[in-house]
Amino acid sequence: MNHLDPQRHVRGESQYLDDVPTQQGTLFAAVFESPLAHGVLVNLDLSAALAAPGVVRILTADDIPGDNQIGGIVPDEPLLAHGHVHFRGQPVALVLARHEHQAHAALKLIKVDIEPLPIITDPRVAAAQGELIVPPRTFKIGDSAATWASCAHVFEGVAESGGQEHLYIETQGAYAFPTEMGGVRIISSTQGPTAVQRHTAHVLGLGMHQVEVDVTRLGGGFGGKEDQATPWGALAALGAYCTKKPVKLVLDRMADMRMTGKRHPYSSDFKIGLDKDLRIVAYEVTFFQNAGAAADLSPAVMERTLFHATNSYFVPNVTATAFSCRTNLPPNTAFRGFGGPQGMFVIESAIAKAAEELGIPACEIQRKNLLRENDLFSYRQPAEMCHAEQAWDTAAKEFDLAGTRAEVEQFNQQNKLQKKGLAVMPICFGISFTKTPMNQARALVHIYSDGSVGVSTGAVEMGQGVNTKIAHVAARTLGISVNRVKVESTNTTRVANTSPSAASATADLNGKATEMACAALRERLLRHACTEYTLNYEGLEIRDEQVLAAGVPAETDWEKLVSSAFWKRVALTENAHYATPDLHFDAATNQGHPFAYHVYGTAITTVTVDCLRGTYTVDALRIAHDFGQSFNEVIDRGQIEGGAVQGIGWMTMEEIAYNAEGRLLSNSLNSYKIPDIYAAPKVLDVHFLDTPGHPKAILRSKAVGEPPLMYGIGTYFALRDAVRAFQPRTALPFSAPMTPEKVLVSLYPEFSAAETGWNATAVGTPASIAS
Amino acid sequence: MSQFTQPTLERPPMALAPTQAVSLNINGKAHTLQIAPWTTLLDALREYLDLTGTKKGCDHGQCGACTVLVDGKRINSCLSLAVMQEGSEIQTIEGLGSEDNLSPLQQAFIDHDAFQCGYCTPGQICSAQGLLNEGRATTEAEVRELMSGNLCRCGAYSNILSAVMEVLGNKGAEAAGSQATPKKESKEGARQWAAGAASQSVPPVEPAK
Repeated sequence: MNHLDPQRHVRGESQYLDDVPTQQGTLFAAVFESPLAHGVLVNLDLSAALAAPGVVRILTADDIPGDNQIGGIVPDEPLLAHGHVHFRGQPVALVLARHEHQAHAALKLIKVDIEPLPIITDPRVAAAQGELIVPPRTFKIGDSAATWASCAHVFEGVAESGGQEHLYIETQGAYAFPTEMGGVRIISSTQGPTAVQRHTAHVLGLGMHQVEVDVTRLGGGFGGKEDQATPWGALAALGAYCTKKPVKLVLDRMADMRMTGKRHPYSSDFKIGLDKDLRIVAYEVTFFQNAGAAADLSPAVMERTLFHATNSYFVPNVTATAFSCRTNLPPNTAFRGFGGPQGMFVIESAIAKAAEELGIPACEIQRKNLLRENDLFSYRQPAEMCHAEQAWDTAAKEFDLAGTRAEVEQFNQQNKLQKKGLAVMPICFGISFTKTPMNQARALVHIYSDGSVGVSTGAVEMGQGVNTKIAHVAARTLGISVNRVKVESTNTTRVANTSPSAASATADLNGKATEMACAALRERLLRHACTEYTLNYEGLEIRDEQVLAAGVPAETDWEKLVSSAFWKRVALTENAHYATPDLHFDAATNQGHPFAYHVYGTAITTVTVDCLRGTYTVDALRIAHDFGQSFNEVIDRGQIEGGAVQGIGWMTMEEIAYNAEGRLLSNSLNSYKIPDIYAAPKVLDVHFLDTPGHPKAILRSKAVGEPPLMYGIGTYFALRDAVRAFQPRTALPFSAPMTPEKVLVSLYPEFSAAETGWNATAVGTPASIAS
Repeated sequence: MSQFTQPTLERPPMALAPTQAVSLNINGKAHTLQIAPWTTLLDALREYLDLTGTKKGCDHGQCGACTVLVDGKRINSCLSLAVMQEGSEIQTIEGLGSEDNLSPLQQAFIDHDAFQCGYCTPGQICSAQGLLNEGRATTEAEVRELMSGNLCRCGAYSNILSAVMEVLGNKGAEAAGSQATPKKESKEGARQWAAGAASQSVPPVEPAK
């Protein structure tokens, strides 16, 4: 069961932000955005818009009572542009009108005068000009520079991975209400209620206690609503605060795509050295991250790229450097994997390059270099309870890797215009927020006098099934039916100072806090049962709603016990705080123990390429994954399947394009394709590895949100394998996504001009469609 | 809520847009709305009838979240004006099945866990119902092709496929008047197939010919 009440979902009764009944007097907001990517904001003429029908007010930076600043890590992002504009789509003004269409109509009447400044869209250009968000970071272990001379093989290259639009089907939005004490209450579609609360308070010049944020559920988040739900929450709140009217702001699809950041595109240089036995002895990589116009979460994303630069391989000598480059694009942000996939793509490219040059299958190098127990990552944390080899070997056996390879080769010998490709993709993903202080959570558990239970945590339900998991943790810990448990909306007045629902850690953190609170309540109730029913505490338990003394049913059950505890004035509410133990990381030395544990897995991907058209199908994606002791296999399997499909999208069809002026060309589902049911793999098998789980995972069930996305990287290399089967001598660049167009160009290099956008290094600016 | 802190707005300007009466038959009930003629069916449902089960994903006919049935045919309600559907029978997710008696598709979506965030679900179910009504799809490949207009960003596609295939299989069996297969058994058969995660080596429940 993925959902506590699945009937609501299939009957269309589940309420999302835009479904909240409109309160009387509500004003509708629309955002006026910068039409240029960089410039000096000379003049803003609102007069015609203000006179438009239904327009009540138009707010600009000058109307902000507090600090016009919403930057989370670096204070470099105004809520509304002031003085300068830094990207096309940057919010400049907020129109408030009686009807939504009136607000949108008035946008067209606003006149803005901007003196243009030079526009940068390429991260390498930004780096060359010193346009960095934060100073570069280097993770280093061993001495790669001193190792090259002793390597049997050294290969160098460039790898590019593109951005990715989140495309949550529910667009961004917020609904804000003025409150009696001069504050605001915001219903927000956010993964980070506290972020919305903190920044709104800052913008309005209020204490955080004056801003309440409530979240019922999201129609998808995927990282896009971690930090970037904040502007819309804060803007709606600003409107409500200034007009003392409820204000609703929901972005339409194209505005959402124009104005919000995406997965970071990366351009990277790699150098890999192997010994004669194909062991990777040295790896150097330089990442150029396209951060966009403001920091947002880019420094943290960049850090995770460095953490995962060597994927699931042990490399004794690593030098990994990353630059977070400021460009005039919307600030890029969290997206499932959070920089990890971008790092992994580069080392997989390096291995593929080595294999292609040496004329051997990449999996020979991959398998030989997998992490083993106690191998050190570059950040000095050892691989503990490591299942990298187990995952690979299980996948190879369960899914007959050798047989599949033979089939592919046979097919390719027999077919000229269709070629199959195969790739193996091992993954290793660290679980925890890499910023150690964020690894804390709280749960507030009420047992009502009738025996029903309400649980509040900081977890936001966005389809990942966290509420179901939390309800099961509560029910299991208390020994009662899950039907008695209600998981409440996520609300900053019930659970404060929350970390966003992100980093795959939400169920672990909030589940552990729930477990602690419920364990404390259970103990209190059992202590009460001892005195009330003269029972021995030892051997006393609650199971299936029955109180058992040494396994024998006592004369009370859950309802009676709760009722009697209430009348004896026993506290039936508990608040628990959980902080993941033993985490530490020193950002100065880039060493420490940042992760509670790692998740492992291996995917085998096969594809078929139509060598006349360049189109392809993913025939099969077969995954052996380390779930630990999954206590909800349905949810966990769904996360693997969905994450993998999203990863395939990122690597194959999802191509974000900006022109040189920083205008988004892939600005709707017309020009930006995400996987549909037709594009999902024909076969998608998930094998549950037999692993013990980890004590720091909730009920030993390991985190499952982000890791599967990286299985999608295998699709890129399988396509490359198929292209090389048709065109063995072509020098293919490492450039994702591998769209059908790019496949076609790769199949027939002699027919494609050298300056074709896909062969050039510029990311996201294909010359052929620049307007 | 603190209504008293809110100053009253000036009187609303005169009716801005010419409105007209539009009569719609939705889920078996007649409604007459006073709306501007360019109001989409989607907006009419959501904003004037509070039928918010039909979702707005893109408002451009590209995601399928707003799929409803008009005279049994599935359409993107964002691409149709409400006024164009006068005299038609409109069915939304709210009109498929009831709380106590879910439609076979609704039940199959639950049984196969065919959703995660749930936002695309009403559109997926209405679209699948339209697909069943059309009667053209019988194979997994056909279902894939004919359901490809409904996007699910959570990627629950393999479960959506197995849910639709289950109902398709049962419907096929019913159409052939086959009483031999009790519903429960065929359901288990479909589950078994679903557990193979859309593996083609295990064929889906074949509709009786």
